[in-house]
Amino acid sequence: MINFYSFKNKSYLVSLTLIILTIIIIFFKGLNLGIDFKGGLNFEVKSNLTTNQLNEYFDFIDSDREVLIKREVGSDVFSIRIESGDNNPVFIEEIKNLIDQNPDIEILLSEYIEPTFSEELIKNSIYALASSLLVIAVYVWIRFDWQFAVSGIFALLHDVFVAIGFMSLFNIEFNLTMIAALLLIAGYSINDTIVLFDRLRSLTSNEENKDNFETNVNNSIKLNLRRTILTSFTTILALLCLVFLAPVNLTEMPIVFIFGVLIGTFSSLFLVLGIVGDLNYEAVLKARDS
Amino acid sequence: MIIFKQWRLWVSLLLLIGSYIFIKPNFESQTSDSKINFGLDIQGGFSYLLELNEEEYLNNLLVKTSQYIENTYSISSDIDNGEIVISKNQNLDALTNIVIQNLGLEINEKSDKENSYIFSKQSFNKSLSDMTLNAVEIVRSRVDFLGNKELSIQKVGLNKILLEIPGDLDNNVKEVISKTAKLTLHLEKNNIVGSKTFINEETGEQVRVQEIPNITGDFIQDASLQYNQNEPVVAFSFNKEGSDLFAKMTSENVGSRFAIVLDGSLITAPVIRESITGGSGQISGGFTNETANNLAIILKSGSLPTQIKIIQEKQIGPTLGQEGVEKGVLASIIALIAITLFMIIYYKISGFFTVITIISCLSLLFAMMSLLNTTLTLPGVIGIVLTIGMCVDANVLIFERIRENFKHNIEDPKNHGFNSAYVTILDSNLTTLFAAIFLFAFGFGPIRGFSISLIIGIISSLIVTYIILKLFINITSIKYLGLQR
Repeated sequence: MINFYSFKNKSYLVSLTLIILTIIIIFFKGLNLGIDFKGGLNFEVKSNLTTNQLNEYFDFIDSDREVLIKREVGSDVFSIRIESGDNNPVFIEEIKNLIDQNPDIEILLSEYIEPTFSEELIKNSIYALASSLLVIAVYVWIRFDWQFAVSGIFALLHDVFVAIGFMSLFNIEFNLTMIAALLLIAGYSINDTIVLFDRLRSLTSNEENKDNFETNVNNSIKLNLRRTILTSFTTILALLCLVFLAPVNLTEMPIVFIFGVLIGTFSSLFLVLGIVGDLNYEAVLKARDS
Repeated sequence: MIIFKQWRLWVSLLLLIGSYIFIKPNFESQTSDSKINFGLDIQGGFSYLLELNEEEYLNNLLVKTSQYIENTYSISSDIDNGEIVISKNQNLDALTNIVIQNLGLEINEKSDKENSYIFSKQSFNKSLSDMTLNAVEIVRSRVDFLGNKELSIQKVGLNKILLEIPGDLDNNVKEVISKTAKLTLHLEKNNIVGSKTFINEETGEQVRVQEIPNITGDFIQDASLQYNQNEPVVAFSFNKEGSDLFAKMTSENVGSRFAIVLDGSLITAPVIRESITGGSGQISGGFTNETANNLAIILKSGSLPTQIKIIQEKQIGPTLGQEGVEKGVLASIIALIAITLFMIIYYKISGFFTVITIISCLSLLFAMMSLLNTTLTLPGVIGIVLTIGMCVDANVLIFERIRENFKHNIEDPKNHGFNSAYVTILDSNLTTLFAAIFLFAFGFGPIRGFSISLIIGIISSLIVTYIILKLFINITSIKYLGLQR
């Protein structure tokens, strides 16, 4: 049988490396913030022109508005992002009329966000995320012990953070929909973790084998291993369908989520119970005995 | 038959019949309050997020309150930087704490010479929110007059309005919603004191008039597009009070001019030839059919309390939404088939039960969504996919636990296995459920769409695994569950 618990120090090292790599990537590459969080104008257009031709076409736009044109993988759909500047309402109308008149470009979607509002959206997303994390922590704390709450929240933040690093590395746009993807990862991660916590709790409360913490941890993982693999497998199966079939502007989301499932499986198998052990949960169990 | 002794059988049937009844209206053509709406990202359309100017509203409220104090209690005050400053060299006895509180004010600073007051946050927010509700009605009537019937309009936050119009857009919408439409009539005044010059931006015509308006557009009852010598004009009529004021103003000032001002710029400045008692008039001034009609709509609906700014606008073409739905449905079906095949191959008969559980879960989910008149968006579809994942996970947890109990010869493996697995499922699903509820409360846009389907999905999944899956497990002998290996 694999001794998962004995891997914990190596797992910490892996996890630390991932965190440091994420920090480095975000520091050097930054986040590719979409207009939800930066304000500005965004178009999804269908066109038979090349990226270069489109770049030339939009060359007339004032240089203080940055223009970013990107072809969606494997399609004739482009995403065009234009920074906000002075007198936006007039600018929007002008540019829309201009594109409307061009027979080579068809607008599929256009979206404008005022920079003041995007600041509000950032604040709003942070409130939403922070409050739901707090709720998770409190619930786990009430149902289990604080060691579990700390470990569960750590794993969740770890998975979400590394997924953000993944997005930065591949230049995936960070927007409100992606926040939903990150929440999905958070939900998946905490789900996986709690299943293990539950098993560990029931094993440690069993009279016969409660003394050996390490064996209990290994048994919790072993007994759930098939379930963990099956669930990850079916989830990834469903997501792969979405990758190939999602509308062009949404293909990135399932890719990020598949990464999240993998990292979440890693953290629940190798990290969470190790952390619970290192937070001296054994002492809690012993104290309960006497 | 043992099956008929199962209470779960009857509850299952009830659930399925209930789901059928609530899903049915979605496939009927008539409009109903219990249908799933599709978000703009799915059906295509336009959305505008409008923001009313909080600062302007605060200033208006300060002026109004200051005037009220002056008129009611004969106490004069100044407005300075968001505060009402009241000098102490007057009799302030009437200004009791209760009066101050009723005005929504609270003391900000006290000194020997003067007191300064600000609006308490609570009372200002309440007032701001009421103003926005009022503005929602004005915007609604403006867009209604243009003939858009299926629009959805709602207040968001304290001072924002979300307007969503499915399908094609009338180009005039943006024009009509963003105008404040403060119409005022001012008599000509040559004296510098208390007067103001308004300019017509197109013709350059200007006229010096009394700064405080003689009549405002608030008295307008109706307005419409009409033609005067083939030129489009806006005809309007005042209500009783407005008619009286208008008659008085025109009869006392025959021969002089008055200015018609809209949102601070001069439209026209006609000479009063005779007293007008009918309470109606016309505005002419180089309109096209479209601009005259828009102005008539705006005047009819009343003016907005403050300026409006479009802080988010979205236009989703029908192709993208349709493509999204077609591909999304196809992806979901393929994913469902893939999972189904996998579960049946892996778990045999139990896998087949999983399939029934998933389908019941989806029916219950759509039934609840219809009942609550939920709006389904693309992030919402992703929430549903997560729900299916959680439902499959619950099944796997239960089967694995039963299998384990069976292997270790634990007494009553089916019930024990199910119950211990269900505790785990409750713990993990409730954590996610609580998190989703908070996300729904604080989130915006896509986050809300995602969390609402997750909330409903988790509840459905918990119900169907407890009722329907357990029913199948109960009535099947463990030999046939396909779990022993």
